[in-house]
Amino acid sequence: MTRVFLSLALIVTLAVPAMAEPVAKPIPIGVAVATTSNIALFGEEQVNGAKIAEAYFNAQGGVNGTPIKLVFQDTAGDEAGAVNAFQSLITAKVVGIVGPTLSQQAFAADPLAERAKVPVVGPSNTAKGIPQIGEYIGRISAPMTVVAPISLKKALAINPKIKNVAVLYAQNDAFSTSETGVFQEAIKALNLKTVALQKFQTTDTDFTTLVTAVLGARADLVVISGLAADSGNLVKQLRQFGYKGLIVGGNGLNSPNMFPVCGSLCEGILVAQAYSPMAETPVNKDFVKKFTEAYKKAPAQFSAQAFTAVQAMVEALRKVEKDSKKKITAMELAQARQAVNKALLSGMVIHTPLGEISLDREGEVLQKQFYVSTIKMNPDKKTGAFVLAK
Amino acid sequence: MSLYFPLMTGQLSLASIGFYSLGGYVAAIMGTHPELAPLREALGFFMYPLEWLVALAASMLLGLALGYPALRLRGIYLALATIAFVQILGVVVLNLPIAGGAIGIFGIPQPFEDRLAYVWFFGPLLALTVFFLWRLERSGTGRLFFSIREDELAARAMGVNVTGRKVQAFVLGCALAGVVGAMSAPLLNTWNARQGTFDAAVACLAYVLIGGARSKWGALLGAALLVSLPEVLRPLKDSRMILNGLVLVLACVYMPQGIAGLFARRKS
Repeated sequence: MTRVFLSLALIVTLAVPAMAEPVAKPIPIGVAVATTSNIALFGEEQVNGAKIAEAYFNAQGGVNGTPIKLVFQDTAGDEAGAVNAFQSLITAKVVGIVGPTLSQQAFAADPLAERAKVPVVGPSNTAKGIPQIGEYIGRISAPMTVVAPISLKKALAINPKIKNVAVLYAQNDAFSTSETGVFQEAIKALNLKTVALQKFQTTDTDFTTLVTAVLGARADLVVISGLAADSGNLVKQLRQFGYKGLIVGGNGLNSPNMFPVCGSLCEGILVAQAYSPMAETPVNKDFVKKFTEAYKKAPAQFSAQAFTAVQAMVEALRKVEKDSKKKITAMELAQARQAVNKALLSGMVIHTPLGEISLDREGEVLQKQFYVSTIKMNPDKKTGAFVLAK
Repeated sequence: MSLYFPLMTGQLSLASIGFYSLGGYVAAIMGTHPELAPLREALGFFMYPLEWLVALAASMLLGLALGYPALRLRGIYLALATIAFVQILGVVVLNLPIAGGAIGIFGIPQPFEDRLAYVWFFGPLLALTVFFLWRLERSGTGRLFFSIREDELAARAMGVNVTGRKVQAFVLGCALAGVVGAMSAPLLNTWNARQGTFDAAVACLAYVLIGGARSKWGALLGAALLVSLPEVLRPLKDSRMILNGLVLVLACVYMPQGIAGLFARRKS
């Protein structure tokens, strides 16, 4: 209601024209992710990853001697929060923004950055159409069209006899509904038969009817697109009711937060990942080591993607200095933002914890390597790990 | 503010957020649907007022249809019924292909280059609403509303058409919510089912409670405070939500009549 109007009134008081000003030193890079609300679990992982990146690149000398400084703003879980966070970052004179956490938020906040001509790198926006929002919008998170089918192929490699597939998805979650579409197309392309297609809500806890339908349809593969808590319960009930076949999970199941929910029954779920802490590249080894030292746990995909997004900004800043032979801090802010965007979309190859990646002209990510992992639970039934599937 | 209209007759309704969502969808669909492209080109800027009018009409029709059966309920039952309405609307838009499912609708065209310019949409609407309320409170209809709030039985005994008046107040609130929704869709650039959730309905209720339920200024003050507080507290980083919550609790304990109630007490 009036809140939209009022947030506007607030922006009036905050808005300061940002013309013809130099870039501050250390170079400010904005990070707008959710550190409050129901998606704060993801956002916290992103903040952790970004902080490691800040320390790591500043230890390398930052941008050819000039350190960088991350400016954090909380987007909370909604669209208005993302818009407000982006607005504060733009007026805080950052050279670029890493964020927001959700694709839905990106659709609301990215046009703002586009109009202000501030480059944005989405660390975890996987929906269709994000880079197409504008010239200044890019992402380092591979869209699910690329990632999802890989785990299906792996399931077929493990059990070539699979014929009947049951597809389950969280209907009220944007990511899950898009992802299930990709899964369903991939299932068709692999000549498998969808014997059951069932919807649930991310807030559900009782999945008895779904499970009965799956068992009745004699599915030998179950594909789930949902978030961690609901999918955990769903897997648990599937197994308790006697489902024995393979389970393929979408990206929502790619989270250790699921382990306490389904306990030892999580065992064996196949998940395609854009990142694995076990990847054997030098930068990933450094990242995993620093992250484990700081937070006493292995980094999740969200952390690695946030690290990569900051890295993309830093490498773009370095490239700008190299190409123009000018210091970033000697440039005007508007000019620096434009140059950074051009460098980001120049197709330069970056060696990141996600492997080799580059952004195309539109801002879409090209990622070389993906992983399929299977969940291995520890004997305590509370913790576990994603182990690369052989 | 939209909650204040039914509150004038003493009815607590949480349906406003549903109509806000509905209005937003109307604007979003009219702003992006490919089949309406010729109409958009022909009308240019006047497309926006048209969106508001359509949202207004849709909200009023749905408000009437919902209001007649629902407003025979009282107090907590009415609140529950309106919550149910918000939930139903949420499920419906999730399943309508035209509403874009859970992703919603994005790429809604912008009337202005600068976000600040939206003040030209919302400012006049706010002024108009306040003026309308001011006149309404002094008119016969407004007094009938208040009589129902103070004592429904007495009002009925005096010959007031209680249900009719309640529906009237309710529809006014729905219409306002719908228009605000239609104005907000371009502002947010995107519209999806998350705009009309139960959480948002409760947030709106909190605005009214903190501000004061018995005055038109209450809703306005409450919303101003609750929306801007987390933004003003931004420099506090992570502890800002704690402080925000603290302010709310203190406000509830020490100002049971809301902020507006505080002013009224001082005056008397």
